[in-house]
Amino acid sequence: METDLSGLHPPDQPVIETRGITKSFGHVEALRGASLRAYPGEVLALIGDNGAGKTTLANIIAGVHASDEGELLLRGISVDVASVRQARELGIEIVYQDLAQAPDLTVSQNFFFGRELLVKGIGRFLGKVDERAMRERTKEAMTLLGAQVPSLTVPVSALSGGQRQAIAVARAVMWAKAAIIMDEPTAALGAKQTAMVYDAVRAAADRGLAVILVSHDIPKMIEFADQMAIMRHGSVVAQMPTAGLELVDVLTTMLTAQKDAA
Amino acid sequence: MTATKPSPQASATTFSSSEPALVKRIITSTAFMIAVVVLVLILLFGALSPNAVFLGPANFRNLALDSAQLILLAVGMTFLVGAGELDLSIGANVILSSVVAAKVITLLGGTPEEVLAGNYSNVGVAIFFGLLAAVATGTVFGIVNATLVNLLRVNSFIVTLAMMSVGSGIAYIVTGGVNVSALPRDLQKNFGSADFFGIIPVPAVIAVLLGIVAWFAMTKLRFGTHTLGMGSSIRAAQRAGIKVKTQRVKLFGIMGLIAGLVGFIDISRFLTTNIQGHQGDALAAIAAVVIGGTSLFGGRASVLGSIIAAIIPAILINGLVIMRVGSFYQLVVTGLILLVAVGIDQRRRTQPS
Ligand SMILES: Nc1ncnc2c1ncn2[C@@H]1O[C@H](COP(=O)(O)OP(=O)(O)OP(=O)(O)O)[C@@H](O)[C@H]1O
Ligand SMILES: [Mg+2]
Repeated sequence: METDLSGLHPPDQPVIETRGITKSFGHVEALRGASLRAYPGEVLALIGDNGAGKTTLANIIAGVHASDEGELLLRGISVDVASVRQARELGIEIVYQDLAQAPDLTVSQNFFFGRELLVKGIGRFLGKVDERAMRERTKEAMTLLGAQVPSLTVPVSALSGGQRQAIAVARAVMWAKAAIIMDEPTAALGAKQTAMVYDAVRAAADRGLAVILVSHDIPKMIEFADQMAIMRHGSVVAQMPTAGLELVDVLTTMLTAQKDAA
Repeated sequence: MTATKPSPQASATTFSSSEPALVKRIITSTAFMIAVVVLVLILLFGALSPNAVFLGPANFRNLALDSAQLILLAVGMTFLVGAGELDLSIGANVILSSVVAAKVITLLGGTPEEVLAGNYSNVGVAIFFGLLAAVATGTVFGIVNATLVNLLRVNSFIVTLAMMSVGSGIAYIVTGGVNVSALPRDLQKNFGSADFFGIIPVPAVIAVLLGIVAWFAMTKLRFGTHTLGMGSSIRAAQRAGIKVKTQRVKLFGIMGLIAGLVGFIDISRFLTTNIQGHQGDALAAIAAVVIGGTSLFGGRASVLGSIIAAIIPAILINGLVIMRVGSFYQLVVTGLILLVAVGIDQRRRTQPS
């Protein structure tokens, strides 16, 4: 997919837009007015130094935290995402930086954790889970990603870090209807698996989803992403298309920009 | 079985054994190992007891009756421990529920004179409301535990330790320290010491039925997955949109309900409350749960293992008594088995799969 070479806004309305989001944890001001726009069919790289607020912003979009101030818009409509459940219902999925998997549950149980498939008939009323259907859907999603796991019925604690990360990515891709946020999804991966995740991200974007990709690999993001949002000290100091961006300019912005320069 | 066809890079060999055959899974399961231990104990006492009385049907009836209450408590505790919680207050809950039930029965049973003479004119109604009172008291007690854990954000170990004191304190206040006795004989005859087919104790049947329901809920229902997921990683459960506080209320509520039922069984068997007793109930239940293969750290649980392990204390007590050895050795042996079980659990955690 080609990036918008004109350097202007793409024609579509953003799927996800944040406006002036602030968030404090006690005395720590994690976000001081963060604004970004993620467009359908595009990958938005979210970069910034450690502690810049990337994870906090990602988690607010995913409904983990409530913001103190600011607005979250889904396809131009202001939404109040008060819980992870609500974000999911709006079609927003996230791959957490720490994955947030239940290590003792199996691969397919983790895939469907919190929204288990139920059997039909009277068992449904009791909340009886349809293990087989869950395994089949999980297998499909993993195959789509080209990810390898030895078995879908082992607890995820028996898998390698890379395999666990692949599961988290495949799960988000399977469920997402509007947007996927990935918080450093390739951090624990080898070269081959990293390439697989990037392929999956691109495939998800090609399906029309907006993907927000948090990463520290700036050269890769310049090459791979469509747009880039640079965070510093809790705000997005710049967002622009990646076409023609120079690494040195990005680094300068990331490390020295003032908020009002945005 | 691999999910996808193995590529040269994927170290399929490392994992190919991770889905062992059914037979191997059963043999290596803790429930199976503990069943073997139980069988060995039964055979051992059978061989050592005079005239093999230990293996007689009368003794099996005693074993079933004596283990029923611990089985019930262990089943409830399996869910809590699996969810990463503990309830140390179940002994106090059993006492309080039995006291409330006994009070209700004596109040509704007839005039004070009739009741004192053990001559209840209104026995059916009294027993019905007594059962209701026991179960309601137990459930409310459990819900209070969960609510305190939720509100104070303190772990359940501390909360239920405090509630253990509160619960037995209230039982002493309500009774003035005197046991409520002279409960209607019908309670014992038709329930507490009653048998199906003249040999299978009613409380044991209740314990087994509840065990089956619990096994189904743990392994087949969403409720079980959410319970174990919460015990495995509470953060993961929260991020998966699971209402862990509500789940906690349900889990402690069920534990409380079971404690109330056990309290009712207790007064039905002995026709008196036992406010000095039940001190060791919580630890015995937790021990059975852990011996049965549930991880003390949550995330993994075996209802079947808990049920089998909950028979061990009764076997030891009966066996030692029959052999005229002090039954106090039971505590020592149970403690040793618990240590072995915890050791196995710890090893499993440090070397997954
Ligand atoms: N739950 C929390 N409680 C207190 N402070 C927090 C919490 N979460 C984040 N912070 C603080 O907010 C700031 C932003 O953190 P955040 O995790 O969003 O950064 P990040 O950009 O994702 O960093 P990294 O690249 O290291 O992942 C940091 O100063 C961090 O210490
Ligand atoms: Mg982060």
